Amino acid sequence: MDRNSTIERVLRAVLLTLIVIFFLFPIVWILLMSFQTNEQILRIPPSLSFVPTLENYKALISGHLLTSAGSLDIAFMRNLGNSVLLSTCAVVLALILGVPAAYAFARFKFWLSEDIAFTLLSFRFAPPLLVLLPLSLYFQELGLDDTYTGLIWVYQLIALPLILWIVRGYFEDISPDIENAYRIAGHSWLRTFFKIAVPLAGPGIAAAGLLSFIFCWNNFVFALVLASADKQPVTVGALAFVTASGIQYGQVAAAIVLSVTPTLLLALYAQRWLVEGLSLGAVKG
Amino acid sequence: MSASLSLRAVDKVYHPRGRSSVHAVKALSMEVDRGEIVALLGSSGCGKTSTLRMVAGFEDVSAGEISLANRRIERLAPAARNVAMAFEGYSLYPPLTVRENIAFALKRGRLSAGEVSRRVQEVAALVEIEPILDRYPNSISGGQQQRASLARALVRDAALYVLDEPMGQLEPQLRAVLRGRLKRLLKDRAMTSIFVTHDQTEANALADRIAVMEGGMLQQFAPQHVLKERPANLYVATFIGEPPMNVFDASVVRDDGRTMFELDNGPSFGFGDNELGPEVRQAIGKRRRVVIGVRPHRVVLGNGSAETARVVSNQWLGDQSHVAMAVAGKLLVAVSHARVRAAIGESVPYGVRAQDLHIFDVDTTVALAHGARAA
Amino acid sequence: MAQIDMAQIEIRNLHKSFKDDAVLKGLSLSVDKGEIVTLFGPSGTGKTVLLRLLAGIHPQDAGTIFLRGRDATGSPPDKRGIGMAFQNFALFPHMTARDNIASALTARKTDAGEIARKVERVAQLLKIGHVLGHSPRELSNGQKQRTALARALVADPDILLLDDPLRNVDAKLRYEMRLELPALLKRVGSTVVYVTQDFKEAMALGDRVAVLLDGRIAQCDTPARIYAEPVNVGVARLFGDPTLNLIEVAPQLVDGAPEIRLGGAAIRLPASYAAAAGSPCLLGLRPEGLRLVDGPAPGAIAVDLVAVTPLNEKSVLLLTMQGGEELLASEAGDRDEPRRPGPAHVAIDPDTLLLFERESGRRFIPAENGKGGS
Repeated sequence: MDRNSTIERVLRAVLLTLIVIFFLFPIVWILLMSFQTNEQILRIPPSLSFVPTLENYKALISGHLLTSAGSLDIAFMRNLGNSVLLSTCAVVLALILGVPAAYAFARFKFWLSEDIAFTLLSFRFAPPLLVLLPLSLYFQELGLDDTYTGLIWVYQLIALPLILWIVRGYFEDISPDIENAYRIAGHSWLRTFFKIAVPLAGPGIAAAGLLSFIFCWNNFVFALVLASADKQPVTVGALAFVTASGIQYGQVAAAIVLSVTPTLLLALYAQRWLVEGLSLGAVKG
Repeated sequence: MSASLSLRAVDKVYHPRGRSSVHAVKALSMEVDRGEIVALLGSSGCGKTSTLRMVAGFEDVSAGEISLANRRIERLAPAARNVAMAFEGYSLYPPLTVRENIAFALKRGRLSAGEVSRRVQEVAALVEIEPILDRYPNSISGGQQQRASLARALVRDAALYVLDEPMGQLEPQLRAVLRGRLKRLLKDRAMTSIFVTHDQTEANALADRIAVMEGGMLQQFAPQHVLKERPANLYVATFIGEPPMNVFDASVVRDDGRTMFELDNGPSFGFGDNELGPEVRQAIGKRRRVVIGVRPHRVVLGNGSAETARVVSNQWLGDQSHVAMAVAGKLLVAVSHARVRAAIGESVPYGVRAQDLHIFDVDTTVALAHGARAA
Repeated sequence: MAQIDMAQIEIRNLHKSFKDDAVLKGLSLSVDKGEIVTLFGPSGTGKTVLLRLLAGIHPQDAGTIFLRGRDATGSPPDKRGIGMAFQNFALFPHMTARDNIASALTARKTDAGEIARKVERVAQLLKIGHVLGHSPRELSNGQKQRTALARALVADPDILLLDDPLRNVDAKLRYEMRLELPALLKRVGSTVVYVTQDFKEAMALGDRVAVLLDGRIAQCDTPARIYAEPVNVGVARLFGDPTLNLIEVAPQLVDGAPEIRLGGAAIRLPASYAAAAGSPCLLGLRPEGLRLVDGPAPGAIAVDLVAVTPLNEKSVLLLTMQGGEELLASEAGDRDEPRRPGPAHVAIDPDTLLLFERESGRRFIPAENGKGGS
């Protein structure tokens, strides 16, 4: 209904502005911080005008951190690379495993299918700390401790349930008659899966993939416990900024900006699919 | 408390984002008398539902005026219009039982609990949902939901009742029974109502007058027999009636006391001036081309006719035969209430009488003459 | 092992339940090669389910389906060599109409040129040649319906299953297709099972009409026989618009001839119904078999004409008899002077009269040569 009075419109605009400011404020502040030196950041009262500097970014990219106590080597770019590697591989593996599984759950009601599906989802409920310590022991025994393979495997705990639930919803939404029609036209069920089911669930698969990527990227605890410094992602790597000579706020801010940028760009690029995929996953419960 | 509804030059334009605007209703004007039942009939996308929603208040009017009982209502919120509406999509309140849903419509009036209960029972009996009065909407079938929605609209005392495809989900037998009862209720209580349908039988059975719409415009607004016998244009002529009217493009040739209609790629039909009267000839005027139409049940089959045609299909439907013949590169359908024993491929004689002809202008599609009289 | 004398489609004693709902309860049917059988019945009775079992989409609980003389059990849909058109079109949304139709050919590894040719040909036949490049979203309902039909036909299948393919189509196009489809199907020569909920469509399109009632085929006969000789009340009620009038009567033998009392009048039944005397019956009167006559006459009932509903090519008359019972009569064509409500008389056409046993609902078959039976 479009019966808008001026008051309503003004009120709506004010409210929207407030909400936008509320959410964007930390991000903007950190962005600004990343271009300031530590002294500028810690100045009281805080000031909005400053002379921007690229020192922080230079330090991160070169790997040398200059503090008042001397120089420190930070392997930040390596951490960034690890994040990319781990998240990408985890998601790709989860898609290869999860999409056919989601299809099976959607189309074939086999014995215990609901229970199995729920069990897989429950991995998202459990606090990671519960399994982490025993897992680290097993990993050491299996020789998977401090390996990329081990980490990618553990990341499936994050990525797989998400992909299963979201993509299953998309498969269920496809009218079975469309697949039946393709079968009757003479195609095997495998061809039907690849030519009909997967393309039609495309948006859901992309959304689930993106979400999993974001969650894997943000993960902290698994990598902290199960890997050593050279394999750790940015989330853990950021700890290094808490140095003996104090917290290097400027570099931390720059590190945050660099860590957030890949996922932010991906999300912006595919935002339409993300919203669609999220709501669908929620409804198909 | 019913009063008349009046629409004057009502327009509706939709502006969907990213697409060109849609002019759904164009300069619609019509007057509904008090106590009259009017049907808005047309194929999907013709503008009938938009019109209904504007009358009920769920869409804004892009231009024009709507009045009910001499009160301008096009700017009022739905609740302020004193209009009761039954929706196509049921829209019952899920947390209330069917009984409570129906009674909810009476909440605004100051009726005693006993009176409310009596009315709910009465309208429930009419649509045969008494057994499910205490069930919740999510546990009853689509047809039952639709009837409950209808009951909710009918239980109110309103100046106008607006029904959007009120029986679309019901099976034919139930529909026929409910139609009879609904008509009787509406007439007994002089309830002015306007309903939307794409089903001609429903429009015929319920409405006093039918408004045929197409492309957002009102084509003709008249009682059923007028639409059938004197359609205003080619669209109404071919829309009303099952099977639809047979129409053919033809050239007109005047010859000394005779008028010949030469069908394109087909036979010619000639009529003497005694058959095709002066009124009709005057309506045709100097036109060289017209469209002629004849209703299937007026086509004369059998001996004594000059023309023959090959039978393409012959279907016996229990009480009538539908025979389709190849004429002028198209199909001419004839309906007969007797068994027609003609095999596919056989040639049968057929004919058309002057009194059964409908003649239309080839460019404007407006009707020129029906039978013996000008349009 | 193929059996040469078996019909093209042979269904024996099929059972199918969903959860606790038994939908098909021992259904049997045969369809001959090249025949069009319309499958008709009220909604929800299992017509679509039967079609899906024939297509191999669901397995049956019990019973056998023979296609072309071979047991089809265990054969998946892609191996049954049938064409199917779904009620809800089931077009592939991410492919053009052309690709949708071609999908029935791409599985059989036909070369691209041949595929294009066949698609064009069937599209021309169904008048959708000009929209082949569109996606399903851009097609009107009528075009979608014809695309789905084209997809079912393009591979020239010898068995065709059509699930109410005209349901979602507007009235004018529906009538047109009802005239053109039989000719089209005969030309292709397939054996066709056509599901519909409209009895007129069933009668118009089918060589035989199979009525599905209560999980079984109640009757499978030519359209004329189904209408004139229904096997029971259930079948009789499904055909005819308005529906058959049903009145409880108890025929008695009066002077050796069977007679009933109806609306205060004594009506003589044809002598071939003599054997029905003494049993409780249901009299079935087709509305078109009730004729208003000018005045009282032997065999005419005094009625009150309550309402006249003009429909397109006929009028429906609501009559009440002396005892208050309602009758619907229908009258063909237009009258110059519409009938006015008031007292009238109605006569019954004995040719359209039907008599059923009240308890079983079975039709009482009038005897030939005076010997009765049912």
